[in-house]
Amino acid sequence: MKTMRIQNWLMILAMLPLFTACGGGATEQDDLNATGTADTTQDARLQKTKAIFYSVPSPMETAGLLKKAGATYNSKMLNDVKNVDRYTSASKQALNLGVYGADLSYASVFNQTQESMFYTSCTKKLADRLGVIHAFSDSTLEAMEKNMNDRDALLDIISETYWSMDAYLKENERENISVLMIAGGWVEGLYIGTQVAKNNDTPELRQRIAEQKLSLGDLIGLLGSYEGDDGVVKSVKSDLEALAAVFADVQVGGGGASLSEENGVAVIGGESAAASLTDAQLVAIRDKAAAIRNSYIN
Amino acid sequence: MNRNILMNAALVGAFVFVATAAQAQCRSFAKNKCVPELAPYKFNESFNGAQLAPGEEAEVNLTFYSGQEYRVMVCAHPILGEVNWKLVDANNKMVFESLADQPKKKFDFKAATTTQMRVVVWVPSTKGKTDMVHVGCVAIMVGFKE
Repeated sequence: MKTMRIQNWLMILAMLPLFTACGGGATEQDDLNATGTADTTQDARLQKTKAIFYSVPSPMETAGLLKKAGATYNSKMLNDVKNVDRYTSASKQALNLGVYGADLSYASVFNQTQESMFYTSCTKKLADRLGVIHAFSDSTLEAMEKNMNDRDALLDIISETYWSMDAYLKENERENISVLMIAGGWVEGLYIGTQVAKNNDTPELRQRIAEQKLSLGDLIGLLGSYEGDDGVVKSVKSDLEALAAVFADVQVGGGGASLSEENGVAVIGGESAAASLTDAQLVAIRDKAAAIRNSYIN
Repeated sequence: MNRNILMNAALVGAFVFVATAAQAQCRSFAKNKCVPELAPYKFNESFNGAQLAPGEEAEVNLTFYSGQEYRVMVCAHPILGEVNWKLVDANNKMVFESLADQPKKKFDFKAATTTQMRVVVWVPSTKGKTDMVHVGCVAIMVGFKE
């Protein structure tokens, strides 16, 4: 009798998604927290849930922001393509898939065709090893080669590939790999920004680096929602919490926002001053970012 | 006994399979139906989508960088009907709101300064209207222009 009840319950659970029209997948970056009980019309959904997402800027968005802030291209900062064969564990492969993905975005945004091909090759290699073959197929590679001289088309293909890899990993219940990839890419973006600032220190670049404090908080939240029993995710989260401690005194825009209109376009302005970094803060962030990044690539 | 265990295992397996397939469909829905609506803005590659039922909520923190133009959009599967959503600042002050009875598909704006805001989506309750639970994909999408 009890078994029968369990079977019925499982049957209801199994059939629940069939009532959906889009199918409506669970979530990509969600952390479903119970916040109360269901409405009486929703008896089959045992708990009322609130999906909380954490959005982290993609490597392409970060590379674009750095370029606009006056960053220059320097291939010596990037992870050596020869390192790719050193990554044998899935966690190192995932972190460095993110690192190479960020390097690829950086090279592509700066229209470095040859470098972009190298980093495409590294990214594909790691994606294959992680079994993300469908998301980064030979046809994707061919499309990239074909559009190597069409910057906009190439950037679109890279963005699409990043989305597909992330989606593939999450759809196949490998969220831990996905979050490591995102973390690796974010760390590499910060590393590049802080290294560029060594020789090309502009107030705009400092502002963009300081603002990473905001996305760092979201990245830590994202890792926290998937850490579970995964020791590597926990360890990466711990690295980033140490980095957050270095960012602690950095002043970034926050608080309230005001809405106005300019030529028919809505404009949102924060009520606080633009973010900035002191020399000491910049050095501390640069050193910490380099230490974390180097521990991932070596 | 063994038969019951096998039956249970099969049902759990079926549930996992269906849930995974549904998740893939949600992503596919966002990619095919929602991403194109962001044009001419470039999708920020961050998919924040969930399977929601009437009465449920989702939220995401977003960072908007100064000097960039953005489109924020909430894309819900038609089975849910229109949904409510709002954009609020760090002090919870409302910057934009779209209600189900007066829906606004998207909000375009320029960020004058870098700001962190939160998008909150909630699906109107169908309590008293129907006993059928419709669960559908809701995606919070962001596009940007340099």
